[in-house]
Amino acid sequence: MIRSIEFRAMNTTVLLAAEGERAIDGMQATKIFIDECEQRFSRFLPASEITELNHFSGEWLKVSDDLMEMLELAQKYYEETKGIFDPSILADLKNAGYDRSMDIIRASGVVNNQSAPKQFPGLAFSQMSLDPDENKVRLPRGMEIDLGGIAKGWIVKQAARLLHRYSEVCGVSAGGDILFIGQPEDGLGWDVYLEDPRDPSRMLAQLNIPSGAVATSSVTKRTWRQAGKSRHHLIDPRTGEPAQTEWLSVTVICPDIIAADVYAKTILIGGRGVAESFTEANPDLTFIAVDLQGNLVGSPNFKEFIYEPASNLFLSTGTAR
Amino acid sequence: MKIFKFGLRLWITITSVLTFIVGWVMLAHAPKPSQSSSSSQAIATPLPTLEPLPGLFQENGKTVQNNDLPNQPLFFNNQPRFRQNPFFSTGGS
Repeated sequence: MIRSIEFRAMNTTVLLAAEGERAIDGMQATKIFIDECEQRFSRFLPASEITELNHFSGEWLKVSDDLMEMLELAQKYYEETKGIFDPSILADLKNAGYDRSMDIIRASGVVNNQSAPKQFPGLAFSQMSLDPDENKVRLPRGMEIDLGGIAKGWIVKQAARLLHRYSEVCGVSAGGDILFIGQPEDGLGWDVYLEDPRDPSRMLAQLNIPSGAVATSSVTKRTWRQAGKSRHHLIDPRTGEPAQTEWLSVTVICPDIIAADVYAKTILIGGRGVAESFTEANPDLTFIAVDLQGNLVGSPNFKEFIYEPASNLFLSTGTAR
Repeated sequence: MKIFKFGLRLWITITSVLTFIVGWVMLAHAPKPSQSSSSSQAIATPLPTLEPLPGLFQENGKTVQNNDLPNQPLFFNNQPRFRQNPFFSTGGS
């Protein structure tokens, strides 16, 4: 029997599921771990490690092993995605109005106008200096970073590893970034419902995932209005503005949750060309995109993950092609 | 006078013994307290048959026995609650 627990953390809904006698003990320990991680890595908390790093830009700062690991991953994916995944867009994100947590923005219904100064021109994330031997980091003076998806993926991965110590079969989801370890005892894999980005209360498809990771990026989830303009949280580093995308959401299925999160974001911002180059370079990667009409498009093998009988029930407006 | 006193004592003794014996015999033949008399049965009113009370745990109108429920700890309302059949969905955050 699989048991689950749902709670709010990292400004999103977290779901833990586990099988076995020690499942509940494991989920309680994992919840504590996730709550602690939020305190350490949220850019919205004044005492977090990320806030401290941004505050001391221009100086060498000793950081924890965990933050060093995240920064190394961020550097790796920045290079791999040719800068489309860029944690240094925080100034642009704040400028677009996302300067407080989404829960607070939604509660107040008001965002600041474009008055915040943009990041110093000429700064690039590649200028960040890392000294892994000494666990020291130096951001270029004036740069602020938001590890966003990397931090969430890292937390989900570590949380799943922790839960796996208690349970052979488990899953961790944080706002739709999901990592499964093992298969449920019925051997039928994990069911994951793909939300319709135009109406999250409706499902476009039922996916069946044997194990591994699923992550989705969407331009319709974290949205707000600023000076009469619709804004969202995915900044295109090439323009410094919320990305103009041909798809509403992109879901990536692959073994690693951090890669899934980064690739989903990058494919959504970069579009079809980036998607094709990624799927050619990574045979383990599958992506499913939802276009403006609710149609599903994706990599050649994406239909293998769609549970066909359920598609008749859930493909309410779109069609799997 | 002595004869009168002796006679009085003898009369009291015999009367007491006889009264004790008669009482013993009467109680020995009286109906036992657990045996209800026919008259009490005659006035008893039959009780109406009541519908069974609903159970504390019901699922789709069918009562679930307490020992059928999973062994889950109880939490206060402000605590996250454990449940079965997780619903995983993905749509971004």
